[in-house]
Amino acid sequence: MATPPPVPSDKTSDRALSRRSFLRSTAALSGLTALAASLSPLRELDDFTSTEQFLQKYYKELTPEEMTRVLARIEKEVERQYGIRPHVRDLRPMDGVEFVYCLNLTRCIGCRKCVHACVAENNLSRDPEIQYIRVLKLPHGSLDVEKAEHKYTADQVPEKGFFYLPVQCQQCRNPACVKVCPVHATWQESDGITVIDYDWCIGCRYCEAACPYWARRFNFAKPGLPAERINPDMSYLGNRPRKLGVMEKCHFCIQRTRAGRYPACLEVCPVGARKFGNILDPNSEVSYILREKRVFIQLKEEMGTSPRFFYYFDK
Amino acid sequence: MPTDTPLAPGNRRAWTNGVLAALTGIFALMAGLFLANLWGRPSRPANPLVDEAFLDTAPWRQSYADLARAKEDLSDFDCYACHEKNEPPPIRYDADLNIIIPEEHETIKMGHGSHQRNNHCFNCHNESNLLVLHTRDGRELSFAESSVLCGSCHGPTYGDWEAGAHGRISGYWDRSRGPAHRLDCVNCHNPHAPRIPSRTPAPPPSPLRGPRTDPSREPTH
Ligand code: HEC
Ligand code: HEC
Ligand code: HEC
Ligand code: HEC
Repeated sequence: MATPPPVPSDKTSDRALSRRSFLRSTAALSGLTALAASLSPLRELDDFTSTEQFLQKYYKELTPEEMTRVLARIEKEVERQYGIRPHVRDLRPMDGVEFVYCLNLTRCIGCRKCVHACVAENNLSRDPEIQYIRVLKLPHGSLDVEKAEHKYTADQVPEKGFFYLPVQCQQCRNPACVKVCPVHATWQESDGITVIDYDWCIGCRYCEAACPYWARRFNFAKPGLPAERINPDMSYLGNRPRKLGVMEKCHFCIQRTRAGRYPACLEVCPVGARKFGNILDPNSEVSYILREKRVFIQLKEEMGTSPRFFYYFDK
Repeated sequence: MPTDTPLAPGNRRAWTNGVLAALTGIFALMAGLFLANLWGRPSRPANPLVDEAFLDTAPWRQSYADLARAKEDLSDFDCYACHEKNEPPPIRYDADLNIIIPEEHETIKMGHGSHQRNNHCFNCHNESNLLVLHTRDGRELSFAESSVLCGSCHGPTYGDWEAGAHGRISGYWDRSRGPAHRLDCVNCHNPHAPRIPSRTPAPPPSPLRGPRTDPSREPTH
């Protein structure tokens, strides 16, 4: 920096005055710009909660007419954000149905197709990435899920000496996550699915901490969903797009299973390791499996959560 | 005489101006940086979308029944385009008693059971009518009924398959609402070499922030 020229002493000359005020106003201007720039992230808050949503009643208290209006609002919002008109339904549990999932560990080859089919079906954020299913790789003879690896990058699966254990929400009979929710934004329904009302969730993440299966996911950032991969078949408690700051997790593909279909992870499984159905129907696959197969594993059974997700080995 | 003379008023003003100029410089620099940050957001490589092949629900193999349904090329099943009726093809073995596959059938790699226990073509194909399959107890089956053939030797697995426990049923679990589709054995198993070969897995997770911690470092409960 060059040394400033000597300033005339004593008298406050015009030149010094204008120079000082110039410096002062530049400083002020720069300061203001810096402030404005630092507030700029606010510009990204384009999905402000609408008044309608803000004033919405608790899910369980909505009358059918109010529900129709809520669904219409959601359809409109999705269309505004993604340019796609979805079909949003509020599917209720069916009478005489309790869902159970069985997963054959002898079959699973760890190909992760279920992970990505789930992402596609349930409109999960691609960026940042959110996935409901985590496939753990474990050495044969071990069942210590705490020591498992889930980011394996083998070129070919299955790898010799290992087996694979996909973990997602276990839909517990005694869910720890539901108990800790301070606002009742998550609860267990009569068909066994633990659901989340994304419009009621305050994002405190207590449930995430309470879940022993690492099954719950938090939207740290605005979900990044490519419009061309949106699944327009949506349900209120299921796969409608989430927003920043709410929890989500596997809901057994409510939008499919409550319409009588199999979940997406099952449909894509190339080895048929995944089995889903109504445990109250003696002719369902899951009833047959729980009757005929012997060795079942409920993950972290000792926690008393009583999962509806059963892992088993053939023979 | 005091050694520490206070600055002359003129000097003091120069000093103030210097500080002001420096502050302005710093502010301007900060504003510049903020603005640069605004326009040229540091770009984080976006997660690439997963290859649609991993979302495909179609099974690994197309069976005879699938090909027939889709009206695709069935020339592989037109045995008597090459073979003579009433002249069963001879089965040849090499010195190690491994079956020799003729060039015309080079797409076939035999390997059914450990120690090649079920590699004899006519365990399954009918030598007097190549267009059908047959079981050891003499039942004749069309190619479309191949699952029954497998079941004739793999009884317990077949039982599981019928109940939906082995293999895959997709579509509607609630049969009152829609149809269900059951895959045949040969949709997953190559009848000639039924062991499931290894595959390339879909990409691992790459979240912005990993899961809470690496599961291996998660405290035990
Ligand atoms: C493209 C022509 C072609 C077609 C189509 C064809 N084959 Fe053949 N196949 C051959 C030839 C050539 C041989 C060797 C014959 C020989 O060695 O005399 C052969 C040999 C065989 C053999 C004996 C294999 C061995 O290891 O020795 C069997 C069994 C056989 N064919 C079954 C079939 C059946 C079943 C079909 C229909 C599903 C069929 N082939 C269709 C050309 C054909
Ligand atoms: C004539 C009897 C017979 C028929 C028919 C038969 N298999 Fe086999 N299969 C065997 C024998 C024997 C083994 C070897 C069992 C062993 O080594 O323990 C075997 C083994 C297998 C295995 C285990 C993998 C391996 O290579 O050891 C699979 C999978 C299999 N068969 C699938 C099938 C399918 C699918 C069909 C129908 C296309 C079928 N099998 C038809 C007799 C048969
Ligand atoms: C375990 C039973 C079994 C044995 C052993 C077996 N096949 Fe087959 N083969 C089948 C079945 C089942 C199909 C029909 C598969 C389908 O629907 O895709 C078939 C299909 C074929 C075809 C037509 C499709 C194709 O893949 O080209 C030929 C040719 C054939 N077999 C030849 C042979 C020959 C040659 C041998 C002996 C080297 C043999 N098979 C041994 C069960 C068997
Ligand atoms: C959805 C795909 C699928 C279908 C359909 C299917 N299997 Fe399998 N099967 C598998 C897989 C995966 C394995 C494990 C294979 C392995 O490790 O090589 C297997 C294993 C087997 C085995 C080896 C023994 C065992 O239990 O591990 C036999 C035998 C077998 N299958 C027979 C059949 C028969 C018979 C049918 C039809 C009635 C059939 N499979 C249908 C995927 C399938």
